[in-house]
Amino acid sequence: MNRASDQENVNPLREGLSTRAVPQPCSVVIFGATGDLAHRKLIPALYNLAADGELPPAVTVIGFARREKTDDEFRREMEEATRKFSRQPVRDEIWKTFGQSIFYHQSDFGDEPGYKSLAAKLDKIDQERGTRGNRLFYFAVAPDQFEPILKNLKAAGLNEAREGSWARVIVEKPFGKDLASARELNRVVHTSFAEEQTYRIDHFLGKETAQNILVLRFANAIFEPLWNTRYIDHVQITAAETLGVEGRAGYYEGAGALRDMVQNHLLQLLCLIAMEAPTDLGADNIRDEKVKVVGSLRRFAPNEVANSVVRGQYAEGAINGKPVPAYRAENNVNPNSMTDTFVALRLNIDNWRWWDVPIYMRVGKRLPKSGTEISVHFKKAPLVLFNKQSTEENVLVIRIQPDEGISLRMQAKMPGTSFRIEPVKMDFHYGTSFGKASPEAYERLLLDAMSGDATLFARRDEVEQAWTFIDVIENAWAAKKDAPELFFYPAGSWGPEEADNLLARDGRAWRRL
Amino acid sequence: MPEVAEDYSLGLQVEVGTIDKKLKKLWQKGEGAMTRASLINLAVYSKAPGSLEKNTELIAKIAQTYSCRAIVIAADRKAKENRVEAWISAHCHVGGGRSKQICSEQISFRLEGACTNLLPSIVFSHLDSDLPLYLWWQDEFPDPMDPQLWAWVDRLIYDSQNWKNFDAQMRLVETAQSEAKQRIVLCDLNWTRLDKVRFALAQFFDHPGSHHHFSEIENAQIDFAPGCRSTAVLLAGWFGAQLNWRCEKTKDAKALRFADADGHRINIVLREANGAPVGKVVLSSGAVEFVVAPAKCGDLLEVSRRGRDEKPIPQMMPAQDDDPVSLLSQELLRGGPHQVYLRAVNCVRELL
Repeated sequence: MNRASDQENVNPLREGLSTRAVPQPCSVVIFGATGDLAHRKLIPALYNLAADGELPPAVTVIGFARREKTDDEFRREMEEATRKFSRQPVRDEIWKTFGQSIFYHQSDFGDEPGYKSLAAKLDKIDQERGTRGNRLFYFAVAPDQFEPILKNLKAAGLNEAREGSWARVIVEKPFGKDLASARELNRVVHTSFAEEQTYRIDHFLGKETAQNILVLRFANAIFEPLWNTRYIDHVQITAAETLGVEGRAGYYEGAGALRDMVQNHLLQLLCLIAMEAPTDLGADNIRDEKVKVVGSLRRFAPNEVANSVVRGQYAEGAINGKPVPAYRAENNVNPNSMTDTFVALRLNIDNWRWWDVPIYMRVGKRLPKSGTEISVHFKKAPLVLFNKQSTEENVLVIRIQPDEGISLRMQAKMPGTSFRIEPVKMDFHYGTSFGKASPEAYERLLLDAMSGDATLFARRDEVEQAWTFIDVIENAWAAKKDAPELFFYPAGSWGPEEADNLLARDGRAWRRL
Repeated sequence: MPEVAEDYSLGLQVEVGTIDKKLKKLWQKGEGAMTRASLINLAVYSKAPGSLEKNTELIAKIAQTYSCRAIVIAADRKAKENRVEAWISAHCHVGGGRSKQICSEQISFRLEGACTNLLPSIVFSHLDSDLPLYLWWQDEFPDPMDPQLWAWVDRLIYDSQNWKNFDAQMRLVETAQSEAKQRIVLCDLNWTRLDKVRFALAQFFDHPGSHHHFSEIENAQIDFAPGCRSTAVLLAGWFGAQLNWRCEKTKDAKALRFADADGHRINIVLREANGAPVGKVVLSSGAVEFVVAPAKCGDLLEVSRRGRDEKPIPQMMPAQDDDPVSLLSQELLRGGPHQVYLRAVNCVRELL
């Protein structure tokens, strides 16, 4: 997954170099440039790319926001943010040149003249800095701002690139809150930008370990023959957080864990685990295979939701020994809120490979530990040997974050004269074996978007298929009659007991993280 | 636990026959607090006096980014006694916010007199199984080379900058490569020295719109530090190999001359100047100059394109440190084959 679609004519001097080709020079326009995402992630990611020599010098960043600010004021703010949040320390020599590539454009998102002046500014930058008419628009704003921005970009002619140039748009999640709104959002985006110009970012896919799933599966011949219903008993995917809603209550109240995490991040991980091998690493070939997985998810009938999905909300409790309030007592949360802060699901993929292999997912806030991992539980060995002593199953664990790595649990004989069997673990840690820090997910994804490589971005049909699946659950929860119960769990626990029962009914248990 | 060395000592002296047992004991002592990690076997060979201590320090630093089992060998063929001495140690660091130390183990040998012939046996008996073997040869290669030694080497690391006779040495290496049972990747640290400069130069031409410059290059200038002429010639060889230029003979020692496929001449001026092994590099293509030069701070490159009607936009890019730790770490991290290197060498072989 390291191709730069824009560089089809190969540069002979690039051969054999361990770094990828730098993208074409472009202007990156960040809508919502004074917001948290730009400060914490986007500008530090662009700085790190520049510091590593991954960007051409002409790349220019234009912050677009409502507040009055000069270029210098904006640069100072961005420098401060980068010094605080960058993965590598800021070097004055590098910032001096990088900082000069940052500009500020003040305008309301709905103000048409503001876009005309943006177009003029971009033209001037093209001439002065050699950005060649290439534009990348990054929407670091709430989805309700998309429409005015897109409408005005189109009115200013910024959605269309001149011949030989390109215009692309990166859309941050959430991609809607249900199928209807996702379709509407896609419709709105597509009034100005075609699908191939649209990059829906899911930062989970930019993580090194998420990308490594494909390498693990398809570059190691030992796993793929076992990767099916014949040898796999079940799969678990866990995304646990110790944090509560922090400052996001306004958004989270309308979203909940299912929309916030399952619809995008967890289903994307599931796709990487369950997809067939693509014919090559082309963006659409990979995404075609991922769509097939989401399309094969067994849809729940409304009356099946309660049986296969558990929703929960944290009550007061303690995290790391410190008391924390209940979700309903958090700032800006409705005291009678029915928002899910925990979801556990039992899914099935109705295809040949995964027939009768349940996939268990759980995601939650205020759980005892933070961590995202996938565990593949293989079927147990027959009990004919070793005095019919029951053994544990082999488990392959892919840790996405933190402490990225892979472990395999297997059985070993305990030393002694008797056949006592105990599980042992083979463990690979990225941090232990490779001392080099991985780039941040946003670095990889920004570079990919500049290079025209959409492999790690969600396609329209992926998003809509995911919402089709999620909507059944959300609709069942929202039903006035016979809605599945919302279970409460103390903060610092592993979710409501009903989540454990979901697996216990099948004779299984959640893996201990 | 004195063997867990952060002071670059050789560690615990052991009998050669007890190395495995003593290593096991070392790890047992540290169980719970230490994690042994290893991606490769890294054998380091040198005849230089004091090399054992110097290389121990290098390995300790390299192991922080690249876990390995290091086998460090110092040979003194002229010693009067025939003797083998051995030490074991671990290089540990705490990384990734973990409480456990991540450790690489090192086995050190001092071979004296006729015992220097035991080199292949010493290396093979102490390899960590299933891991590739990288051999870092810090001296000139002997003629003939012991074919046994190459039986298991996956990557042969050397620095051609120190070679007195490039052609003779390269022939020895190529013979070893062709006689080996498996593919040996040749890794010349003199080529690694050029990594960042090559990257900085290559990025000028990533955009297909700039490819026309390849056929318009008329002149180039490469500055090099005293003693680093071979590095500059290798860079010129890279241009030649990748841009399909043929090297032509010239009597001027300070210049190289190439001809492209259409017979157009390209002159490359080599200029000795204090500073980085390869300093300022200028490619002139018509009215445009592509310039890569070391920045004043030393560890960055100033990169710019200067045209008649163009406003130059300077950029800073990472530079390659010339110390052995950085060079070897860079080499270990990049992996892959080095076909471009061999093409570059062959393009300017007679000039090296």
